[in-house]
Order: sequence, then structure tokens, then C-alpha cells
Amino acid sequence: MVKAIEINNLKYSYDEQPLFNDFNLNIEAGQWVALVGHNGSGKSTLAKLILGLLVADEGQIIVFDEQLSIESVHRVRAKIGMVFQNPDNQFVGATVADDVAFGLENTKVDSSDMPQKIDAALTVVGMQDFKDREPHTLSGGQKQRVALASVLALQPKIIILDEATAMLDPDGRMTVMETLQQLKQQFGQNLTLITITHDMDEATLADRVVVINDGRKILDGTPAKVFSQRRVLHDNGLELPFANELAYQLDKKPEDYMDERELIQWLSTLNK
Amino acid sequence: MAINFEQVNFSYGAGTTLAQPILHDINVTIPDGQVTAIVGQTGSGKSTLIQHLNGLLKPTSGRIIIDDFILTNGIKEKQLTGLRARVGMVFQFPENQLFANTVLDDVMYAPINFGYSKREAQIAAKEALKRVHVSEKLWHKSPFELSGGQMRRVAMAGTLASNPDIVVLDEPAAGLDPKGQNELLNIVRDLKSAGKLVVLISHQMDHVIAVADHMIVMNNGRVAAEGTPTEIFNRDLSWFKEVALDLPKAGQFAEKLRQKGRSLSRRPLLLTELAKMLNGDDQHE
Repeated sequence: MVKAIEINNLKYSYDEQPLFNDFNLNIEAGQWVALVGHNGSGKSTLAKLILGLLVADEGQIIVFDEQLSIESVHRVRAKIGMVFQNPDNQFVGATVADDVAFGLENTKVDSSDMPQKIDAALTVVGMQDFKDREPHTLSGGQKQRVALASVLALQPKIIILDEATAMLDPDGRMTVMETLQQLKQQFGQNLTLITITHDMDEATLADRVVVINDGRKILDGTPAKVFSQRRVLHDNGLELPFANELAYQLDKKPEDYMDERELIQWLSTLNK
Repeated sequence: MAINFEQVNFSYGAGTTLAQPILHDINVTIPDGQVTAIVGQTGSGKSTLIQHLNGLLKPTSGRIIIDDFILTNGIKEKQLTGLRARVGMVFQFPENQLFANTVLDDVMYAPINFGYSKREAQIAAKEALKRVHVSEKLWHKSPFELSGGQMRRVAMAGTLASNPDIVVLDEPAAGLDPKGQNELLNIVRDLKSAGKLVVLISHQMDHVIAVADHMIVMNNGRVAAEGTPTEIFNRDLSWFKEVALDLPKAGQFAEKLRQKGRSLSRRPLLLTELAKMLNGDDQHE
């Protein structure tokens, strides 16, 4: 089992207030992990620590066998792509294609290889027809898909999305989530995905859900395991996904965890 | 204090060759003392519409009557000061506009600009902070030390401090965690109980059904429908596709269930309602 990210005994204080105190987390290569928690729970800080944008007080962060340090930080960052919350804060190019090119230029990709790499990345996220458009003419969901393409062009082993859908309308949210599912299908074990979110319906799509609060791991497991803990989620300012909350309120409940599709199937065969 | 739009048209660059029409023949009433939700997909004209409520934009033609104030194209900027004190606007992600050294100073900024004395502004700011449940412990902290939900509420307090009769909120709950979202919906309910007219833009139909009394659906710069959320959410399914509007989650779920062959007697709009129907309780109604 290859470990994509290994966090050992992490300590980090923010303004003298300890946030992470002996925090441990291992993420396997190829896994899709949803990191959930309420606003201020420490989930975005964790992403910044992994990227070396913040420096831990103690402990180790190891990304594909390379321990994060001042000396290794650039090599570690080259393995990780990050998409942030605000789609308007991450554009530099005058056109969609320029924007994808920007990241490639920084990695000294041969300019003759660029058009092909740009096209390939935009195709993966379904934005190839928009390549000559100015970024400001795109919708929020389209912008986030371009941001994802810019990251993909650099062929990272890990992509972290930090509340990348929080500012989008439902349609934009859906297209981004569909794009992620498709990425996961296409790249399989070669892509580790970390989605930081407080939207539980999004978290159900992951292989594994990690709930953190006050820098502590509260729950960690499959969606089935985590979403059976309604009380714990509530106590931590979170809710169940819609389908699981519905199942909870039914007199006659399914015995096992079901996602929305399964619940609909189950209910439809129950008593027509 | 109701608001009436009468034959309102709006174009950017009106009168030039580059005129870009955005709003077309808007005739709507936003009732007093209620929460009105304005919904529609991105680019449907929602934000342009609400920017007319305090004269940030002026109609190219037609007029907007806000209580005894009549907003037309010819109105002078100077005449708008009074209107702006009465119509408080909270834009999307208002926490991006926080700037002062302390929470209290930030909230006092608007009332001071509207001519309050420092003392009056402080009293007003404290009231507003209490109204949005920002704990007194935070008043002397930097707004940038707060969590996302707290920052959002401080920014709202900045608008509420000058005690506007009309409060306009553009996506107030966007990006907040579930607890923060519920807190904001409660603030909307509180504002209504305090007698304010509240206008709310939202993409989340579950929020609309939770707090709105009245609903305006925008599509391509026109009003596609106006009515109570219950009326509108019970429209034919094909209409929702036409105007690119979602049903609340419970309605969507029931629709998927119907496609799998299990139909319910009516369309549920709330999760609790859907659960009751599935539990068979509604057969006794």
C-alpha cells in the first residue's frame, strides 16, 4: 500500500492557540478523501500545512516518501495541485488557454509541447470549447473547472480542493462534482483526491470521510461508517447528507447505510 | 412600505451603440413585512434587480416605488442619500469588505457615515451586533480573527446598524457550514419579526422554502413567476426545466422516486414532510 500523505504527531499553533496537537492522518495513494468540518475547524489550515504554506511547530508531513522541509518544499508542492474556494482569485491568463499555460511555463515545459498539454487538460474537464474565451465571461462552475485543468496540466499526484464548490450555484456545483468523479474514473490509482468541504452530499462521493474539529479527528471511515454517527456530526456543527437524514426519520428504515440512489431504489420496491 | 416595480427596463450603456439590455418589463410587488426570495440561475438578472432597490442602478425606463420614494432614471445622486439609509444592502461575501481594527469600529462605520454621532453609532452598532448574535467577547477583536460565519454576521451588523426598514441580502448563507447557514436563516426570521421587509437572493431552494413568504423567479431578465413558494414549487415539472430552477431537495427526491415507480399523493417540499408521507401519515389527512 503506497501512502500519498503521512502526517505524524503534527503540532501547530495559531496565535499561541494550539490548533493541532499530536494530529495523525495517513492517506493512501488513489484514495478520495473528503475532509469535513465546520468553518474554523482547522481543515483548511491542514491543507496549507501539507502544501508548506504554513510551517508546523512539530511533527512530520510526508508526501510520497518525501518529508516536507524548507529544502524539499518545492519538490513536495510539485506533487500537489490545489484549487481554492474563490474562482475569481486564481486567474492570471487573458484567455482560458493562457491560464492553463501559465502553470506550465513555470515548470519549464517545452513550448512546443504546450498546446497539446493544454488541450488535453481542458478536454478532461470538458472545457476545450472555451479555450479562447476570457475567464471573466465564464460561470463560476466553468471557472473552477478551468482552475482544475490548470492543476491537471502539471500532472500532480494529489489534488486538494479547498471548498472549491462553496461559492458556486447548484448547477456549477454539480458540474464540478461530476468532473471530479470522472477524473477519479480516468486516473484511478494515479490520482489522490482530497476534497475539503462542509457539504455532506458532496462528501458521500468520497471513498473515505474524515471529520475534524478543533484540530482533532472526530470520525474517520467510509461514508457508511461516518454517516451512521448522526449525533456526533450534529455535535460538531454538521448534518447528515439528505438521503441519510431522510432514512433516519423513516419508521421503517433500511438496515444498512444507503446512498441516495440506493435509498430511492429501496423505497421504490418497498410497497408500490 | 411595499416596493413596486412598474414597467422597469434596464440596459447597461443605454443610449449608446453598445447598449446591453438586462431587465425587461419588470412589474412586481415586494410585500411589506414579509421575506421575499428572488431566485433564478446565474445571469438571470437577480443582482441587477436588487441593485435598483437603493438606487445603485437607476431604471433605464419605468419606475420603482419604495414607500413614498419614486426612483426613476432622472433622479439625482443627492436625492438617494435618504433612500440608502432606509434600504440596507448586504452583498455576497460581505466579509471581504471588513476593514477596521475592531469588530465594533467596523460596524460603527456606516452609521457614522449616515451622520450619527460617535456615541449614537456605538449604541447602534452594539444593538446590531446583538441582533446577529455576535458575542460581546468578540467586539474588541480584529474582525480578521473571526471564523467565516462570525465574519459574515459582523458584516451584516454593519448594514443593520443604521436600522434600515428594508434589508436586502444577496446569498447570505453561501459558503457557510450547516450550523452557520441555520444561524443566518434564523437572523432572517428575526428581521421579519422586527417588522423589516427582507429581500433575499438565494440559489438554495431549501432556504427559500424555510424562510420566504413570497418568491420572484427571474429568467433571462424577465419575471418568470411570482407567488408564494408553495404555489411556485407546485408548478409543473417541465416549467422548472424551462426556467432552470431546482425544486427543494425533498421535491427532487420525490421526483426521482416517482421515476422509479413510487408516486406520492403530492409534492413534498420539506424533508420532514417527505418522511411523514413515506411513513404513511399523510393518508389520514
